[in-house]
Amino acid sequence: VKAKTSHSLIALSTTALALPGIAIADAPPVESTLSYKISNYKEDDLDREESPFGDLGRYDIDVHQFQLITPIGRDFSLQIDANYEDLSGASPWFTTLGPDGSPVVNLSGASGIQDRRAELSIGSRYYLENGSIGGNIGYSEEDDYRATYGSLSGERHFNNDLTTVSIGMSYSADDIFPVDAEIFGRVVSENKSSTSAVINISQIINQVSTAQVALSVTQQAGFLTDPYKLRDTRPDEKTQIAVSTSYRRYIRSADAAWHVNYRYYDDDFGVSSQTIDMSWHQNLGRRFQLIPTLRYYSQSAANFFTNVDNFLRPETELQSSDYRLSAFGAVSGGLSFKANMGNWTTTLTAERYIANDKYSAHEVQLPSTALVKYFRVSAGVDFSF
Amino acid sequence: MVACTQVQPWQRGILAKEEMAWKADPLESALNDHIFFSKEASSGGSSAAGGGCGCN
Repeated sequence: VKAKTSHSLIALSTTALALPGIAIADAPPVESTLSYKISNYKEDDLDREESPFGDLGRYDIDVHQFQLITPIGRDFSLQIDANYEDLSGASPWFTTLGPDGSPVVNLSGASGIQDRRAELSIGSRYYLENGSIGGNIGYSEEDDYRATYGSLSGERHFNNDLTTVSIGMSYSADDIFPVDAEIFGRVVSENKSSTSAVINISQIINQVSTAQVALSVTQQAGFLTDPYKLRDTRPDEKTQIAVSTSYRRYIRSADAAWHVNYRYYDDDFGVSSQTIDMSWHQNLGRRFQLIPTLRYYSQSAANFFTNVDNFLRPETELQSSDYRLSAFGAVSGGLSFKANMGNWTTTLTAERYIANDKYSAHEVQLPSTALVKYFRVSAGVDFSF
Repeated sequence: MVACTQVQPWQRGILAKEEMAWKADPLESALNDHIFFSKEASSGGSSAAGGGCGCN
C-alpha cells in the first residue's frame, strides 16, 4: 500500500509538472489553451524643437495575437501562433543640424506610413522520458518585407530532473522590397538571413527557487541597411552574442513570486548593452493577481552612428543616424491585473517606456534625436478546455 | 549546483505554479520581445530567434 501511495504521489507531482506554468521539467500539456491578446502601441509625438518641419506624429500600432496549444496523443503537442499588426504613423527619415546647432530630425512622408503585418507559425513537440524535441516553421509578411523561418530545439533533464539543458537553432530568410523605391531612389529588392543558436541551462535550487543561464549567438548576413533612411549604409554582416540569466523565487509569506532577469549583449557593430528587468507576481486570493514590472536598458552606440547625416561622404562609407544605433538608456514600467474564472483567464496590462540619452550607463558622445517614448495597453483572454 | 538541495518530484508543487514559469504570460513576453527588438539594437536571449520584420 505504501509503495502504491508513493507512486500515486509521484503521478500527482508529475501531473503538477505538466501544468502550463511549469518552471523546469517538460511534459505534454494536459489540456488545450486558446489565447488572444489585443494591444495598442502608441509612440509620443515629437516636439517641434526636435523636428522643425512636417508632421510630428509617430507610430500607432494595433496588435492582435492568437495562440493555440494543444496535446496530440500522449507524447506530442501542437502550437499555432498567429499575429496581425495594423500600423500607421511616421519614422525618422534623415537628420540635419537645427538653428541652434543641435541635430534635428525629419520624419518620413507628410501623410506617414500605412502598413500591415501578418504572421503565422506552427510548431510541434515530442516528449520523451527525459526531455523533448521540437520545431516550428513560420511566415511573416508586410507590404515591404517577408520573412520565412524555422527552428529546432531539444532539451534533456538530468540529476533527478533538477537540471535541464536545452539547445536550439533557428534560421530566417528575409526579403526586403521597399515601397516607392523608384520615386525615392531606394533599393528595389534585397535579402538577408539570420542564423541563431542558443544553449540554456535551468536548475532547481530548492523548493521555492529556480535559476537559468543562457548563451545565444546570432549571425546576420545580407542587406542590414534601413532602406527608408535618406542616408544609411551598414556592414553586410553582423554577429550578436547575448548572455542572459534568470531567477524565480516564491515568497510564501507574501504569496507572491519574484522574477528577475539580466542580459548582457554585444555585437560587432560596436553595440553592447545591459538589460535588467523584474516583476512581482502578487496573488490576491485564489482568483486574482497583480503584477508590477520594471525594466532598465542601456546600450552603447554603433561605431558608425552619427547624429547628423553627412551627405558629402561617399555612399559606400558606413554611417547611420538611426536612433536605435545611438547610445541611450530606457526605463519602462508596467502593471498587469489578471483574473482567473475557472477555464477563463483575463489579463489587462498598461506599460510606459521612455528612452533618453541621459539614462544611458554608457558614454554618450553623439546624443540622438527622436528617441522613443511609448504607451501600451493590452487586454488578453485565455480559455482552457 | 553544490548549494542546490535535492528537491523530490512531490516537493515541486510551488515550482509548478503558473507565476513561477520562466514566461508566466507567453503572449506578453512575445509582444515585449517584438517591441524591444524593433526599438533597441539588442536582441537574443534564452530562446532561439524567430523571423525578422521590417519594423523601423
